[in-house]
Parts: sequence; C-alpha cells; structure tokens
Amino acid sequence: MNQEKNERQIHEAEAARLQSGYRIKMLILVTASILTALFSFWVGYYPLSPGQVARAMLAGCGFQVEIIPQAMTIFWSIRLPRVLAAFMIGAALSVSGAVYQGMFRNPLVSPDILGVSAGASMGAAISIFFGFPYWYTQIFAFSCGALTVILCYIISTKSVHNQTLSLVLTGSMIGTLCNAVVTMVKYLSDPNDVLQQLTFWLMGSLNKVRMDGLMMSAVPMLTGLAILFLMRWRINLLALEEEEAQSLGINTRKYRIILITASTLLSASAVCLGGLIGWVGLMIPHLCRSLFGSDYGRLIPACMLLGGLYLLLMDDLARSLLTLELPIGVVTAFMGAPFFVSLILRRKEG
Amino acid sequence: MLIEIDSLSGGYGNGDICKEISCDLERGEILSVLGPNGCGKTTLFRLLLGFLPPTGGDIRINGRSALEMTKKELAKLVAYIPQHHAPVFAYTVLEIIMMGRASHVSAFDHPKPVDREKAFTSMEKLHILHLANQTYTSLSGGQRQMVLIARAICQDANIFVMDEPGANLDYANQQLLVDIIVDLAEQGYGIIMSTHSPEQPFSIAHKVLLLKDGKNAAFGPPETSITSPVLERVYGIEMEVVSIVDRYEKKHTLCIPLHG
Repeated sequence: MNQEKNERQIHEAEAARLQSGYRIKMLILVTASILTALFSFWVGYYPLSPGQVARAMLAGCGFQVEIIPQAMTIFWSIRLPRVLAAFMIGAALSVSGAVYQGMFRNPLVSPDILGVSAGASMGAAISIFFGFPYWYTQIFAFSCGALTVILCYIISTKSVHNQTLSLVLTGSMIGTLCNAVVTMVKYLSDPNDVLQQLTFWLMGSLNKVRMDGLMMSAVPMLTGLAILFLMRWRINLLALEEEEAQSLGINTRKYRIILITASTLLSASAVCLGGLIGWVGLMIPHLCRSLFGSDYGRLIPACMLLGGLYLLLMDDLARSLLTLELPIGVVTAFMGAPFFVSLILRRKEG
Repeated sequence: MLIEIDSLSGGYGNGDICKEISCDLERGEILSVLGPNGCGKTTLFRLLLGFLPPTGGDIRINGRSALEMTKKELAKLVAYIPQHHAPVFAYTVLEIIMMGRASHVSAFDHPKPVDREKAFTSMEKLHILHLANQTYTSLSGGQRQMVLIARAICQDANIFVMDEPGANLDYANQQLLVDIIVDLAEQGYGIIMSTHSPEQPFSIAHKVLLLKDGKNAAFGPPETSITSPVLERVYGIEMEVVSIVDRYEKKHTLCIPLHG
C-alpha cells in the first residue's frame, strides 16, 4: 500500500514536472513573440529604431514627445498594421490547420491542402473583380472556403480509398479547380487596375495592409480564435473515433460544425487579409506537437504564438532578403515545401 | 434493476438488425452477449450506447429511459470500452484517461486538479501508474486495454460496455483482463461484454444473452441458458456441454463442437 502511494506520488510529480516544462516553453514563446514584434518594427525600407518606436507609441497615446512626422506615419499606418496582420494571419492559419487535423483525424491536412485557402481566394477574387466592398469580399471568401471544406469532406467519405489519402487528393483537386476559376477571373479583369491588385494579393503579400482593412478582418479572426481557444480541450475528444467521442458524452455533430466553421472563418479571413500564404497551417501545428505534445489544451495557444512568431519572421525576411520586397507566400513556400517532404519521409519510417 | 432492455429493436434503415431483444442486469453482475458474427451484438451495443436510435422498445437505466437522456447524461451512467483503439495523435496515457472526464467538464472548460486526481486514482486501481506519462500509441494491446478501462472508471459511470474485451490480446493478457473484469463487478460495476467463447460465461458471467439473427435465443444464468440444444441452434453446429472437476475439486464447464 505504502509503495503504491509512493509510486503514485512519483508519477504525479513527473506529470507536474512535464506541465511546468510546457509552461516555461510557453513563456519563452510569449517573450520571443514580443521581441520579434519589436524587431519587426525596425526592419524595412525605412528602419525605425527602438527609441523611435517607443516615442511613436507614446505620441500615439497622447503623450507629448518629440518625433519626426514620417516616423509617426510609418509606425502607425504602415508598420503597426503590418506587424499585427502578420501575427494574426500566422496565428489564424496555424490554429485552423491544427483544428482541421483534429477534426479530420488526419495530420496531413491544413487550410491549403484541404483547398480552403484556394476556395476562399476564389470567392475573394470574384468579389474583387466585381468591385464589391471589403465586407462582401470577406463573406464571399468565407462562403467559398466553407463550401470547399464541405465538398472535401463529402467526397472523401464517399471514396473507397484510404481516408487520409482521399482527403488530400480531394483537397488538391478542389484547390486546382478554384485556382482555375481565379485564373479565369484574372484573365477577364482589367490589366491596369484589378489584375494588378489581384495578382499581388494572390502572391501573398502584406505590404498593402492598412489599418482599416486590418480592423475588418480582425473581427472574424479574433472571433474564430476566441471560440477555438475557449473550446480547445474539447477538440481532443473530436480527434478520437466518432463513437468513442459520443460515448464520452459529446454531441459530436454540434461540436464538429462549430469547430469547422470557426477554422474556416479563420482561414478565409487570413486569405482576405494577406492572400495565399501557404504551408504555415501544416508546419506550425507539427512543430507545436513536437514541442508541447498532442493535447489541444496546449496546442492551440502554442499554435497562436508560434504561428504568429513564424509569420512575423517570414515577413521580416520577405522585406529584407533582397532590395525589393518578396511576396511572403514565396518565402513560406520555400520554407514549407522541404518541411512537408521531411514529414512524409518521417511518416514512412514510423 | 440497474439496466433493463425491453424488446429493443433497431438497425440501419433497411430493416431491423436487432429484433425485440430483452435482457437485464443488476449492479455487480456481468452479462455476456454470445452469438455468431452478424447476430446483432454490435448493433445491440450501438443502440445501448445511443449511437443508433432504436425503432422500438426501451432501455431503462435505474428506472429512467435512456432514450430521453442527453449524450452527457448517458455518459455519466454508461461507459464504452472499445476494442480497437489507435488515435491519430500521440497523447499521453494521462491525457487519454482525463478525456473520460468530458461529461463532467463544461464546453469551455478544462479538467481540473480534481479530475487529475480521479485519473490517478483509476490508474492506481488497475496498477498502471507507471504508464501515466508514457505515450499511449507506444503501448502494447494489453496495456491499451487497461488504459481504456481506467478511462471508463474515471468517467464515473457504473455500467461498462465492452466490445469483445481481449479479442486481440495474447492468452496471458486475456486471463489478466478476465480477472480485472471480475474484480470490477465485485466493486459494484455492471458489465456488459460480448464474447466469442461460449465457455467463458460459465466462469465469470452471472447472466448470458444468446443472440440468433438479431433475436433472443436464450437469456438467463449460464447454467440454464447455455445448453447443447441452444448452442446448436445459435451456431448451427453440433455441440456438447460437459462439466469436469479439476484437481482442486473446482467445477469447469466446456463447450465442445462435435463435427468431424
């Protein structure tokens, strides 16, 4: 009996040690995110020193400080929205990727692989083509994104092949179809105005992000993030077998609809704000799982932080790698594709 | 009566698979469900666990109809211990067991330290504390089955539904599992399990339900229900039920197929 008690204490202590280890890692992520954000204000065609950043912040809050007006404008209407957008898009894509992986019980899916990003970009492109206001673009992107998820799910469940494979294949098929529609829209648009706008946005770029656009995308994004953050422990149960989850007392249908809708809202808003930025939604959840384990209670906050941090860094790279700015989608593709290959190879071994 | 199944019918749309099945179970009893493949065992379990709506009949748990309960209410009474289990993600054993607390944790909440305590207590009961921080997917079949039983205990339900426990375990682990099931019944849990062995109920079960084409073939204590005429009708082969006495004067019952 005594021995049993001792054994229990040992394993409880071990579990507690693991927990505090995760907590420390999480704190490191928070600190790194803040430092990277500060660093990102400085990077760019017009570098802002940390002192200028601090002064611009104070001045914006109504304090009387000496600052050159250009620094003020650059900070408040260019750098700040851009940094916020990069962080939020990174967080949104990573969290939605992690949730899709759980919902479909498939570690190889992400917003881009499921075709959600392509679907959302199709919706957005159509809306931009017709010159609709930004709100409409958001709604179009979300509806088309949601449609792709539903299609993907239905086709893959009807397929006789292995579910993992058919989901990935269906996703890429739907993605290709959506891209074809986008190409058609581009072909039909006015080369001097809409075409340019569309092309740059689709490459995935953050240099056009301004405060007003950011605010409008922030509402659905923060809503989606809040829902998924609050329900994060529940996601674990839905990653189990359907019947098993039900036997644990979960109304799986209701939760699945809520969670998939929230993730689609996230990926669609990310596409509206920054265009097609691939691979983040696949890469970050995998990195987070290797750092924090599989429990969604930790995975969701970790994905928010690491996803945001990663995209901030990628954006800094896009801004500073060459003299001219690179589209961020190009940078993430260069990082993501090799990662995906390593993932496939690792799965084969295991 | 802990659980009462009253002429329960149900299936998958094109005709009922289970037809007017009736049986019951008291606290501390083990009910074995026997029958050939496709006799409706799995469907019965799915009806019982609320995965499938019945087309007729009723299930009463502690006198209340289970058909009117929410998933959450049902989960506080009935726990399911599945046979095959391989989650996609590498959860630790502790995390898997804590998922048993889902019906006690609200939608926006997390398991609390109390839930963690419960998880450790259930692991302690099954002597699997040493697995607590290991990765579930790295465990053997027998260990996984133990973890799932611990999760059911952690769920605080008092009816366990087990789908062919031990079906993919080796002989020694099967015996260990049987001992644990008997032990759980002695602690007051009601256990409903399906099995492919017609002799197993004699040594452990208090009641046995034999199914043939989705209908009750026999229900009652094993001694009166498992007889050669019943077995021959259910399995369609000639069978003999014999008793032997071992060197410790303990009686055993064997079911022997007579063909060939």
